[in-house]
Amino acid sequence: MAISEDTLFLIYEIIDVIISGLTNGSVYALMAVGLTLVYGVTKAFNFAYGSFFNLGGYFAWILINFVGLVGGYFSIFLAVIPLMFVVGYGLEKTMVAPLRKRDEWEMKVMMLTLGLALFMDNLYAVVFGGRVKSLPPILEGTLEIGNLIFSYQDIMIFFLSITGILLFGWMLNNTRIGMAVQAVAQNPQGAKIVGIPKNRIFAATFAISTAMVGFGGILLSQKYFISPMSGGAIMIKSWVITAFGGMGSIRGGLVAAFIIGMLEAFVGWTFGMSYGMIALFVLLLTTLAIRPQGLMGRG
Amino acid sequence: MSMKRMLTIMTVAYGAMALMPLFVGDIRFIMHILIMCLIWAVVASCWDVIMGFAGIFSFGQVAFFVIGAYASAILAVNFGVPSVLAIVLAGLLTAGMGVLVGLPCLKLAGPYVALVTFGVHMTLMPLLRGDIGKAIGSGGSVGILTIPPVNIFGFTFSSANLVPTFYLALVMTVACSLIIVVVIKSYWGTAFLALKDSEDFAVSLGVSAFKYKLMVFALTSFLTGIVGAFYGHYIGMISTRMLELDLFCTLMVMLVMGGIGHYPGAILGAIITVTANELLSPLGSYRAVTMGALVVILVLALPNGVMGFWNKPESAVQEG
Repeated sequence: MAISEDTLFLIYEIIDVIISGLTNGSVYALMAVGLTLVYGVTKAFNFAYGSFFNLGGYFAWILINFVGLVGGYFSIFLAVIPLMFVVGYGLEKTMVAPLRKRDEWEMKVMMLTLGLALFMDNLYAVVFGGRVKSLPPILEGTLEIGNLIFSYQDIMIFFLSITGILLFGWMLNNTRIGMAVQAVAQNPQGAKIVGIPKNRIFAATFAISTAMVGFGGILLSQKYFISPMSGGAIMIKSWVITAFGGMGSIRGGLVAAFIIGMLEAFVGWTFGMSYGMIALFVLLLTTLAIRPQGLMGRG
Repeated sequence: MSMKRMLTIMTVAYGAMALMPLFVGDIRFIMHILIMCLIWAVVASCWDVIMGFAGIFSFGQVAFFVIGAYASAILAVNFGVPSVLAIVLAGLLTAGMGVLVGLPCLKLAGPYVALVTFGVHMTLMPLLRGDIGKAIGSGGSVGILTIPPVNIFGFTFSSANLVPTFYLALVMTVACSLIIVVVIKSYWGTAFLALKDSEDFAVSLGVSAFKYKLMVFALTSFLTGIVGAFYGHYIGMISTRMLELDLFCTLMVMLVMGGIGHYPGAILGAIITVTANELLSPLGSYRAVTMGALVVILVLALPNGVMGFWNKPESAVQEG
C-alpha cells in the first residue's frame, strides 16, 4: 500500500508535535511534582512558583554570561540547584513560617506569594530589561532516523527531567529525610511526637520544590526564552497540572503533566498557541466538575 | 464590629471625601485620584465580602471588573445602548458570570477555588485579545478607545467636568457600601460567619451553604460589574492591560492594608493604596516592584490591616 506524500508529511508533523508534547510534558512533570509535594506536605499554596522558574533561568544566564560554560551545563546545574535550594529555604523561614501561626494563614500565604511574584517579575524586568534572554542549547545537533529528525536538545531535556523525577522519587522513599517528609505529609502532629523537626521539614520541602522548578527553568529556558513576565503562565500551568492530577498525589501529577503537555502541543498545532491556556482551563473545569479531587487525588 | 462603628467609620471617610472638592475641585489630578479611590473602594469591599466574610478564596474580582467594563463598553459602542442602561445590563451580565464561575467552585475545596477563579482571570486576556474577543467587539489587543461618558437626562459626566462626576461616583459608592453593610449585618452575613467558622456545624443547623455562597458570588460580581462599567465610561477607554498582575496586586494591597474580614477597612485600604500608588508613580518601573514588596511586608507586619489599630485588644486575644 503506497502512502501519498501528503499523508507522510502529515505523519511527520504529528510526530513532531508529539515530541514537543513529550519534552514539555516531562519538564511540566518535574515542576508539578515539586508543587504537589509542597502542597501535600505544608498546605502552602505558592503563587510565586513561576517566578522561581525564571529565577533558575536567570541564574543560569548570569553564570553563562559572566563566568562562562565551565565544563558544560553540568556545572551550571551544580551551581544553580543548591542556590535555588538556599533561596527557597530562606524564603520559607523568613516569610511563610511566621504566617503559619496565624488564623487563615493559607489565604495569607497565597497573598504573600502573589506579592512576591509581582516583586520578582518586575525586579527581573528592571534588572535584566524587558527583552528576552536566551541560553545556549544543552546539546547541539540532531539525530536523524530516516526522515525523522530529533534534536539532541529535546532528547536531553526529556532525559534530564525524567532522571530528576526518578531521583526525587528515590529520595522520597529511601532516605531518612524523604521518609520524614512523607511522615509530616500524612500526620504533622504524629510526626512531631516521634521527634521529626516539623518546621525544618516544611522549609526543606519548600526548598526542594524551589530547586526543582529552578531546574525546570534552566531546562525549558534554553529551548524557549527567558522573559521577565512569563512566570504567570508557568505558575498557572503547574497549578492546573497539580489540580488536574489531584493535589498532593505525585503519580497523578506525573500523568497530568504528560496529558497537558500533549494537549497543549496539539491545541497549539491545530488552533494556534493562544488557545492553549483556554484549552487547559476547559479541561480543568470539566475534570473538577466530574471529579472535584482531580484525576488521582484522594477524597 | 458593631454596625454603629462601621457606619461611623464610613461616614467619616466618605464625608471627608465629599468635602474635598470644595478645596481641591480645581485640581484635576487630585479629583481623578478621589474618583479612583471611590471606584476601588467598592471593588475592594466586594472582595472583602467574598473572601473575608464568606471565606471563599475567589481570585476573580479583577476579572469581573474587566468583564463589567467590557460588557458595558461593547453595548454602548456597538449597539448604541444608553450608558446608564448599559451599566445596569453589564452588572447583570457580570452577576450571571459570577454565578457561572461560582457553580463549579462551590463543590471545590479552598485552593481549587483560588485556582479556578484565577484561571478565569488568566484566560480572559487571550480570550479578549484573540479572534473570539474581536468577534464580540473587544478590539483585540488595542482595546476599546471610544466609550461614551455616562449621560443622565442630557447631562454628561465625563472627565471634562470632574466635580459632578465625583459626586455621581460618591453616590454610587455609598449605595454599594450600604448594601454591603446591610448584607454583612443581616441574617445572611451571620450565615457566612457560621459557614466560615464551621461549615459542617452550620449546615447541620440548616444553613444552606450552596444558596448563600452562590448568592455572594452573584452579589459581589454584580456590584463589581457595575463599578467596572462605570470605570470604563469614566476613563473612556479600556484594554486588556487591566488584567496584568499589577492591578490584581494593587487590589490585594488594598485588602491587606485594610484588613481582611474587617469590613470598612477595605474602604480605608483602597483610599490609602490608591493615593500611595499615585504618589509612587514617579518611581516608574520600580513602582510595581515596590507594590510587590509592600504586599509581602504588609501581610507579615499588619495581620489585621489598619483596622488592627482599632481592634487591637480583641485580635490579641484571638492570636493567643
